[in-house]
Parts: sequence; structure tokens; C-alpha cells
Amino acid sequence: MVNDEAQLYTLEGIAAAIIVVVTMTLVLGTTSIYTPGDTHITDMQLEQLGSDTLRLMDTANSTGARSDLEMIVATYDNRTYFEDLFRGYIRQASGGADSSLQFSASVLYRDDDFGNITSYPLIETQRFSGREPAIRVTRWVQLETRPAGSLPVPHNTLMDAREQVVLVEVLLWRG
Amino acid sequence: MERLNEEGQWIILMAFIISIGIFFLAIVINQSTVIGQTTAEGVLEFPKNDFQDLRSEVFNLSSIYDSSLTDPADRSRINQDIESIALLRKNAVVQYSISNPQIISGKTYVMVNLHYNNGVTSINETAYL
Repeated sequence: MVNDEAQLYTLEGIAAAIIVVVTMTLVLGTTSIYTPGDTHITDMQLEQLGSDTLRLMDTANSTGARSDLEMIVATYDNRTYFEDLFRGYIRQASGGADSSLQFSASVLYRDDDFGNITSYPLIETQRFSGREPAIRVTRWVQLETRPAGSLPVPHNTLMDAREQVVLVEVLLWRG
Repeated sequence: MERLNEEGQWIILMAFIISIGIFFLAIVINQSTVIGQTTAEGVLEFPKNDFQDLRSEVFNLSSIYDSSLTDPADRSRINQDIESIALLRKNAVVQYSISNPQIISGKTYVMVNLHYNNGVTSINETAYL
């Protein structure tokens, strides 16, 4: 004979089964596990920070004056100033020193005689191994002539003396 | 047969409600990393800084076209600098043209045409400066 006892237990069992099935669906449906490094949130913040910093460096103090970045590229010997300036602007918001931030800056130019695009390093705070998840920020810089200091071989002879536009490329990473 | 004990039903019901609440909160936390990722990748993929940089550079060039950059050969060399470096290092097809000064409604303007296309985003601008 059928009796109607234990209805609540039956209901509980059904509800628990539904919860288990839904949870398993969610777990099995997650094909990959996201770690904070995969989500590129820090990359996005670093890119914004780097772009803004380069923009600040390429902004002249007054109309008609030359910007700091332009002066650094134009007088190649003065390039340690790049690190001071870059680090200074990067920590502007927090105030504290951001010592884990590493960067490697280089200048790309076009050789008009052969049409080649070549680069020479500007400054490197740490050797870039290629394994760090670095992001790249760039800035166009207009030069009136070839940089005044002696560029690394063979760029002194390769780089035209004409008025030109070069690209300053900075790799940024936490190391 | 022993009777089913019906006491404590409210406690069981409350436990259900709370557990369902925790379950939905867990879904929210589970989605937050994915949402953060899509947002960050969207920001990274859109070349906002690239285009603003290019724009300021070309506008700056247009301002010196009449003073220090009058030679057409110099102008075309700088044009090639920007177009070829952008193609090689930024994977972007860039084209720009700067017109001669023209008088529109009594004022002198320079028309700047700017095209940028990196395969994902295409931006075109015509500006009178």
C-alpha cells in the first residue's frame, strides 16, 4: 500500500539533485581556468600608464619649445635622463618609487637611401629576456636632424641627417 | 512503520534559501574574471593611443608645413617615414595628406586627411586646421 509519508524528504532530494546537476554543468562547462595574469587587466593598466607617460614627455612646456622626449632623442648622449623622467612620471600618482617596473626603449628610423627601417637602443633598465609579459607603447617624435651624440655602430652612418620622423618604442614589464 | 518527524521544517527551508543565495553569489564571482578579461582585451585591442599619437603628429606637421617644411621632397620623405614605420611596427596602414592653405569664409585653413586601418579598427578623419 502506498503511503504519503516523507514528502518533504522527497522534495529535498529533488532540489538537491537539481543543485548538483546545475553545479556540475557549470564546472564542466568551464573549459579553461582564468588566472589574473590571463585576463590582461594589468596589461591594460600598464599600457595606459605607459602611453600617458610618453605623451607627457612629448609635451613641450611652452608653445614652440621642444619637448623633453624630442630633446632626449635628438641629443643621444643625454639618454639617462629618459629613465629619470619616465620613472618620475610613472610614480606621479602613487608617489612611491615603482622599482619593479622595467622598461626597454628603442628608436626606429627609416633610412631613405635604402628604405630600410632600423632601430637602435635608447635605454634599457634590465635586459629583456623575451619571457616577461611585456607590453609595448610607442610615440612618434619629429627630429630636425640626426641625433647629436654618437649613435651605436652602424647607425651613425646609416641614419640620414635630414628632417625626419622616428618612432620611440618602449617595452614595459614588471620584473 | 514509524511516523515521519515533521519538526524543524522551517530550519530546512531557511537552509535552502541561504544555500541558493550563496550559489548565485558564487556565479557572480565566477563571471567577474571573465568580464574583466573581455573588458581589458577590448581596451587593449582598440588603438586609441596609436591614433591619438598619429593625429597629434600629423597635426603638428601641418602646422610647420608653411614655415620649416616647405620642400615637397622633405614632406614626402616624412610621409614615407610615418607610413612605412607604422606598417612595419604597428601593423597599421596609415595614409595622410595635408593640403595647401585655402581660404574658407574669410579664414585660412589647412585640410588634413587621415586614414588609419590596422585590420580590426579603421579610422578616417578630415580636419580643417
